[in-house]
Amino acid sequence: MAPHSESGKLEQVVSQFLLKSLHIILDSRIPSLHPRDPTCDSRVRKSDKWFNLVLGDRPAALDNLNFWHRNLMDPMIIDIILVQQGTAISTSVGNLLSGSPGRTATETVIERWLVQFESPPRGIASQPSEGSAASYKKTYKKSIIFLRSLYLQTRLLPAYRIFKQLSSSSQPFNFDIIYKVSSFSEPFSRVEEEMMKEYRFVPIEALPGRLHVSVTYRPQLSEFNLQPLTTMPPKIISDYVGSPATDPLRYFPSSYKGDRAISFPSKVMHSPTSVPFQRPHSWTSGFHRSPTVYRTSQMSYDSPSPPMERIQNHRRPLHQRAPFYDECQLSPPFSPSVSPSTPTYLRNSESPRQTRASSETAPVTIPSPISGRSSRYISPNFSDPSKLSLPPLSPRSTRLDNSSNESPSGMRLIKKPEASRADLGSAGQKVTFVVLKDNKDDSGRFSGLLSSSDSPRVGFSRSSSKLSFQDDIDDCDFSCPFDVDDVDPPDSRIRYFSSQNVDWKRNLESTSMGRKSQDAAVGVLVHMLRTAPPLRQDSSCYSSRSLRAEVENDGVATTASGFFMPRRTSDALEELRSYREMKDLLLSKSGTRVLTREPP
Amino acid sequence: MNCEVCQLKELEVEHFEIREVLRCILHTIVFHRALGLVRPKVIDLELFDITYVQCGDGELEKKIDEKIEQFISWVEKHPNKKSQVCISFYEVKNKHPSWFTNKTERLYWEQWYINLNVSQQQKVHSGKSHPSKIVVDPGGNSLEERSARRAALETSLREVLFQIIKFVNEKKDHVPPISDGVVYFPYEVTIPRWILSLIHEI
Repeated sequence: MAPHSESGKLEQVVSQFLLKSLHIILDSRIPSLHPRDPTCDSRVRKSDKWFNLVLGDRPAALDNLNFWHRNLMDPMIIDIILVQQGTAISTSVGNLLSGSPGRTATETVIERWLVQFESPPRGIASQPSEGSAASYKKTYKKSIIFLRSLYLQTRLLPAYRIFKQLSSSSQPFNFDIIYKVSSFSEPFSRVEEEMMKEYRFVPIEALPGRLHVSVTYRPQLSEFNLQPLTTMPPKIISDYVGSPATDPLRYFPSSYKGDRAISFPSKVMHSPTSVPFQRPHSWTSGFHRSPTVYRTSQMSYDSPSPPMERIQNHRRPLHQRAPFYDECQLSPPFSPSVSPSTPTYLRNSESPRQTRASSETAPVTIPSPISGRSSRYISPNFSDPSKLSLPPLSPRSTRLDNSSNESPSGMRLIKKPEASRADLGSAGQKVTFVVLKDNKDDSGRFSGLLSSSDSPRVGFSRSSSKLSFQDDIDDCDFSCPFDVDDVDPPDSRIRYFSSQNVDWKRNLESTSMGRKSQDAAVGVLVHMLRTAPPLRQDSSCYSSRSLRAEVENDGVATTASGFFMPRRTSDALEELRSYREMKDLLLSKSGTRVLTREPP
Repeated sequence: MNCEVCQLKELEVEHFEIREVLRCILHTIVFHRALGLVRPKVIDLELFDITYVQCGDGELEKKIDEKIEQFISWVEKHPNKKSQVCISFYEVKNKHPSWFTNKTERLYWEQWYINLNVSQQQKVHSGKSHPSKIVVDPGGNSLEERSARRAALETSLREVLFQIIKFVNEKKDHVPPISDGVVYFPYEVTIPRWILSLIHEI
């Protein structure tokens, strides 16, 4: 039994030797397998006691490599592969948008380790010798010494340098290191062989056989353009001209196939198509290509796990280490981690889409009886009560103009909370106004579309207000001043709903037509008046349906919901007078005197 | 038991490089001879693009640093001389223990000689009677020479480390058995030429 137990112990030593060797090699080559701070972990595991070398937790991948336990004679070939993407990654965004096919990932084996237990041929009988009891102990001692030298050797070879680069820096790089473990591999081509050197360790006696370890490596890695990614800024510009964050009305061309290229963290995504932002993410196509690339270049494995290992251990297909890459690690077991910049972008992306969806799919219905209700009902999609549009032509409108001139920011007719969230991402970007469509229903339903001040068609700048746009309205004759793209039908009309609550004036100041010229505001009003549908005969319909006049100085908060703008100024004035009368009547009933002003 | 001797390749170092070079080599040797349970500690040299491995033992680091400081002091007193640092591993044997004596004998089974040629271009610590020389970059040529020399030293140091790896793998039979609970074999670090100089002074 003694020889049998001795051989069993030897087998155990050999199998642990293989695993320990693999652990040492991967620990110094694959950053994802390297513990963050090995000195912090003072535990000594069972695996650490083997060969008296504490390495820390074995990577999970090693647990899948138990197939070597089945046949110790199978060589263990560990390929350390440098994955480098082509230069296209640093090209313009347009290439990314178009899904440039020119971007390919090149894989180069920069190291090939061979660990093998060679037993003597079958013809030579392996007799149990007298010293066989101690032979495995000698093997064990020599293995201890060898593994220490292997530990140092892995850190002296050139590949360790790039491992350190990836491990220590948080910058994105244009390369990554993966590994492949197999029992056989394709031999190097002649060209590759000429570029590589071989180092063979002295074989370790493991009677009746021997343990052989050798490494074929590239002595020079300078030929690879390994460098941090500097061309693609790490921060995503969320408010670029034409971005959905800034211009949700803009639809993306059919070639824009980014809708399903990425799945972002669920907290951000609300629909699979809600993120058409392939453009800023240079790693998207790289990521999607990498599994395919790996599959095509995959060699046969004895173990079912290596393909997954390759993908698992593919640290970063040319992107930044932690932020970008981790985020684009869509497939399990990696959990995507949001980069510092993309959440901003995604939040921006989320909100305008939501906004657009909400504004397009949930048109606001202005209920008929509005008495006693606040202005909140004006835009049920929006929680912000400070929604208002251009006021009717009235002294108040003049006041509005004045106040709008005083407004420091762009006009915000209706401010959507989603857009507000978008504002959080884009530094200081303001939602300016809402385009209200006329769907031929005079009930006042509208669907709002946000158009940011940065819409290129409108020519907005971030700080520009609607008034600048209004100036454009004066110059050109089109029905919808907010029709900034083809989404809106040509016969859409602008409905401005005014609210005359206590905050009316304040809201106007803050959401008014901005500091642009009064002439522009007047121009808009005139245009509205010209294009508005005719007044109904029974003005009482309006009064019963909608309006409560705001009293400016009496502190009574009333709100006038939207009403249809008269076509003619005289009609509007007449209506205004009727409203005033109504107001006086109401106030008189309530015992409050209201000061009103006669129109000029 | 034979005593295996390894003469490492001579390195031309400047005074300020002694500490790093000696730390690298001494710790590498000890790491390969610490066959007990060790938690390796990877150290990146500051002056060179080389990574070496220590045993992660603070006491060991302290002892080695003390020896290095002794060597540096010796070098300062004997400038521009080829010097050696020797690290020896031995076993302790009791030699004829008796009632009156308990002599122990050291049986050296391995010796490593680290050969250094220290060029005295700059003094880190100014001696009492020696004025300190501050090396000022005189021009581009000197800088180029210096960087070339530094690169050559880095290559040589890397070769020394490979030499150590090769030696420890080729010769293993002379290594004594490992005792339970013992991490390091007994060792000593000496400066042979220092001993010679002491003898000369006497």
